[in-house]
Amino acid sequence: MPKLLIVDDEIDVCDFAKHFFTKRNIEVSVASGGREALNIIETQKPDLVLLDIRMEEMTGMEVLRQLRAQNNNVKVIMVTGVEDEGTLKESQSLGVKGYIHKPLVLEELEKIVMGELLEK
Amino acid sequence: MIPMKLPTKIDYKKELEAASKTMIMIHDPKTLMRLIVRMIVSKVKVKHAGMILYDAQRDTYIVRISRGERGLKIPAGYARLDHKSSLIRVFSRKEYKSLSFRQNALVLDDLNKMIWQESVLNGVNNGIGELLHLAKEEMQMFSAIACVPAYCQDTLLAILLLGEKMDGEHFDQDELDFFSALASDVAMAIKNAQLFTDLKKEAERNRDLFLRTTTVLASTIEAKDRYTRGHTERVTDYALAIARQMAANGSLTFPNNFFENLYLAGLLHDIGKIAVPESILGKPGKLTEEEIKIMREHTLRGVEILKPLAELEESLKGVKYHHERYDGKGYPDGLKGDEIPIMAAIIAAADTLDAMTSDRPYRKSMDKNYAIEEIKRNSGTQFHPVVVQALVELFERGEI
Repeated sequence: MPKLLIVDDEIDVCDFAKHFFTKRNIEVSVASGGREALNIIETQKPDLVLLDIRMEEMTGMEVLRQLRAQNNNVKVIMVTGVEDEGTLKESQSLGVKGYIHKPLVLEELEKIVMGELLEK
Repeated sequence: MIPMKLPTKIDYKKELEAASKTMIMIHDPKTLMRLIVRMIVSKVKVKHAGMILYDAQRDTYIVRISRGERGLKIPAGYARLDHKSSLIRVFSRKEYKSLSFRQNALVLDDLNKMIWQESVLNGVNNGIGELLHLAKEEMQMFSAIACVPAYCQDTLLAILLLGEKMDGEHFDQDELDFFSALASDVAMAIKNAQLFTDLKKEAERNRDLFLRTTTVLASTIEAKDRYTRGHTERVTDYALAIARQMAANGSLTFPNNFFENLYLAGLLHDIGKIAVPESILGKPGKLTEEEIKIMREHTLRGVEILKPLAELEESLKGVKYHHERYDGKGYPDGLKGDEIPIMAAIIAAADTLDAMTSDRPYRKSMDKNYAIEEIKRNSGTQFHPVVVQALVELFERGEI
């Protein structure tokens, strides 16, 4: 089963997204903060990380930077609100598979995530 | 056989009715929405319920609230439906009402029948059947088994999403009717709140325009009489400062809108001078008796000019009586002491202070110290003592 990690500091979001993708036969883990996320990525090696940019303790960008600095090229899709150009440019240079803006269209979320997960 | 469920159903419906009666009091759409959703989840015992609202700014439909089981409830502000969404398209169609089996809700169970019906009536590859199929998938994405739209004048404003009941039962028509009424309540509250905001904005714009027009009107007198230039503004500033000081001293409690009315009176106190010939206004020498009489009429002229404007009723007191004297020897009516509206007494002092400290056609300006001393000397005769006291305090603090 493909493995997905959802990173968001809102617990409702993690619950919802976990339920959503579990229904679609994906093995889902969740992390409510950057440090937890980095841990899980190292230990469980998910196929895709759905990473929220706006988090209190450690932002999604910091997580992404650390991952790439450790030479970890795990596939990442960033979940954004309204970000400035600088942030978007930086994330592009660090390599992300795509973006999805909150509030999002569930159909699009499904398409982009399943698309990456089921890609052979 | 007596259906065992019946008593509890009636009970909870009574509760719902009672709850909705109190909801009529609530005008704020967000609060109303929250209460309704919470009530539906707890009383009707559904696994989750939520509301999607139209966001005019972003021209999209956003899930604003959702309550219920973890994993099923949708985080507020997380998800949206745009105009391409099948549900939105279904609900936005005028023919929607005839499509649905129910008058006011799209129920998952019915959708299969509806799709089949469409294919029978209009052939297998018909657009509507396809649309309904997509709508069904969309509902399943939200784990919703029923959607209730709410309109305001044909515009789709809200959708109530309902998850399945805990006991797995279907919604009966009564319940759907009830949900529809609640959804309409929210739509109406939204519309009302919007109208209220629009009205407030309009009222503010009007008020703003009125104040700006008044300023323009006041400047006409300065165009005519160059010695007045800046005078109006300064008098108004002094008057407001005096009034603030008097309020701070607690010497007087001012009625509502006093400061705004004082401001307007200050701006317009000399508007009557427009009716005074320039030869008199700008005369360097002493005025004849006749000329003095004409000059003094400017207070009444001002009132005549401004009378048609109802908004200025309070301010007219300041315009008419700003040349009255505390001892009753002023004009036009010879009012005495507290007969003189306080607004006029304040402007009188402010006006005199500026007249003394600016150049005039008939004399150069005086030193401010001297002017203040003069005003103090005339406290109780020309000027209201409380007004003078406030003015002196301001001067001593260097604020004037």
